[in-house]
Amino acid sequence: MSVGRRSSATERLSVLVAVLSVPAFTGMWELVARSGIVNTVLFPPPSTVAVAVLEWIRSGQFFADLMASLARVAAGFAIGAAGGIVLGILTGRFRLVSSLLSPLFHILRPIPPIAFVPIVILWFGLSETGKLFLVVWGVFFTVWLATHIGVQKVDRGLIRAAQMLGTPQPQMLSEIVLLGALPYITVGLRTAVSISFYTLVAAELAGAFAGIVYRIEIAQQNMQTGQVMGGLAALGLLSFVADRSFAILAERAVWWR
Amino acid sequence: MTPSLLRPDQPLRLVDTYPPSAAARQAIIRVEDLSIVFDAPSGQVIAVDRVSLAVAQGEFVSIVGPSGCGKSTLLNAMAGLERPFGGQVLMAGEAMRKPRPEIGMVFQQPHLFPWKSVRRNIAHGPRALGKPKAEALRIADGLIEMIGLTRFASAYPHTLSGGMQQRVAIARALANQPSVLLMDEPFGALDAQTRAVMQDNLLELRERINATIVFVTHDIDEAILLSDRVLIMSAGPGRILRDLQVSLPRPRTSAIVAEAAYLALKRDCLDLIRSEGRRAFEQMEIKT
Ligand SMILES: Nc1ncnc2c1ncn2[C@@H]1O[C@H](COP(=O)(O)OP(=O)(O)OP(=O)(O)O)[C@@H](O)[C@H]1O
Ligand SMILES: [Mg+2]
Repeated sequence: MSVGRRSSATERLSVLVAVLSVPAFTGMWELVARSGIVNTVLFPPPSTVAVAVLEWIRSGQFFADLMASLARVAAGFAIGAAGGIVLGILTGRFRLVSSLLSPLFHILRPIPPIAFVPIVILWFGLSETGKLFLVVWGVFFTVWLATHIGVQKVDRGLIRAAQMLGTPQPQMLSEIVLLGALPYITVGLRTAVSISFYTLVAAELAGAFAGIVYRIEIAQQNMQTGQVMGGLAALGLLSFVADRSFAILAERAVWWR
Repeated sequence: MTPSLLRPDQPLRLVDTYPPSAAARQAIIRVEDLSIVFDAPSGQVIAVDRVSLAVAQGEFVSIVGPSGCGKSTLLNAMAGLERPFGGQVLMAGEAMRKPRPEIGMVFQQPHLFPWKSVRRNIAHGPRALGKPKAEALRIADGLIEMIGLTRFASAYPHTLSGGMQQRVAIARALANQPSVLLMDEPFGALDAQTRAVMQDNLLELRERINATIVFVTHDIDEAILLSDRVLIMSAGPGRILRDLQVSLPRPRTSAIVAEAAYLALKRDCLDLIRSEGRRAFEQMEIKT
């Protein structure tokens, strides 16, 4: 009895602490920034950041930046994920395709996508294609590997049962193998969501004309530290929302559980 | 007292008929000198060792043998799922190299598609063979009724008990109306009552669809009750030890197991299996 009561009291306290955690740190940040022990140009208080963000939104630039970044991430993710799933199914299912492609993919995969920025600039200049390329590159290998492994882990009994029932090859790949590997694929896709944001940063830092990271860089050049921090917060919030919504989506994707 | 199915003028015969030369001529399944070898970490394992057998059109043949003797492997080879190391499997005169939809298989595990409801699992085969959706679902609904799972038609496999899953697996195999049905301990996971009902269903079904059935089981009662012939396999490496004709009149029901003549047949089978089982166990002891 008393143990139960004590643990529920501890629980209530920890909920309270969790709710107050962010406001408390923000308040402390505000106090420290205003106390005069730090340079407010380099370390502005949250109120300054909030004003910068409000101005960013009011000017209409925020929406344009958001859309530019979102479009890059979404398109890159879609193309990279689709390619990763299709090739992952083929290399996972067919030995010959795997022998052909897997060695190449395993060599290319560990190279951090950011390292490709110089060559992407040589190839594509500052065009959107180059940015798309970076995001696709980052997403593709993660999704490919997860799919490849997932396909090899598909219950052999399911494949044999499907074979016995006369399942044609296209249906075998697009239904039995794909859905059999889906739990693995969704894990890969979720990792790829955060990777697509990492590569977005590299892509926009390399030179862009709009975008959240581009805005951060411009603000840095103008010493608008409040705007830089606001940009970081926006980026953090965006990738957090993307990750959470993907997690919810992924749970629905494996609908039979 | 249930009336006797055995008439006194029909004596029980226990005949060793291998090689079944008469049956072989009209055989739909012919296994010729079949060997299956697996590569295991500890070296090569001979799962099936030069097995030959023939099953006539419409015949019901059971395979009985100690655990690990290669029954599942033999059945998989008949299904075209296992590549022969030596010899071959002929189905209607054609060598089995890959699975064919006219040969149905019920595996030892249900292997239902987890993302499909009971109804869609059963409809999978007809759909895969190009039947329209409505027709496939109609076939499925009829079979769901037969296995007594109408209430669970839209349930997903993981919400069913092991026995219910196995009934769905049987219905799924029947949906393609196979001419040959291979069944690997299909009733192993069922309780005694459901098992008896399913056995009667299978006997009745067989009269209706006239399928050739090869049936693996551990249960000698079940083997004698259902079969025209019982093949007894030796302990691994798997070979066929005896080929016993079950000359009990049909139609049979589960009541048959109380007959004296039946019991004599069963005792003979059990003696054979018991000595083989002991040998298998001793072999395992020596190996490890
Ligand atoms: N995929 C495999 N790889 C390696 N060895 C295998 C494989 N499948 C089966 N074996 C071996 O082949 C032998 C026969 O196995 P099988 O499953 O056919 O036995 P079984 O008679 O069906 O047994 P049970 O009655 O327990 O189901 C066993 O020794 C087993 O270890
Ligand atoms: Mg088995």
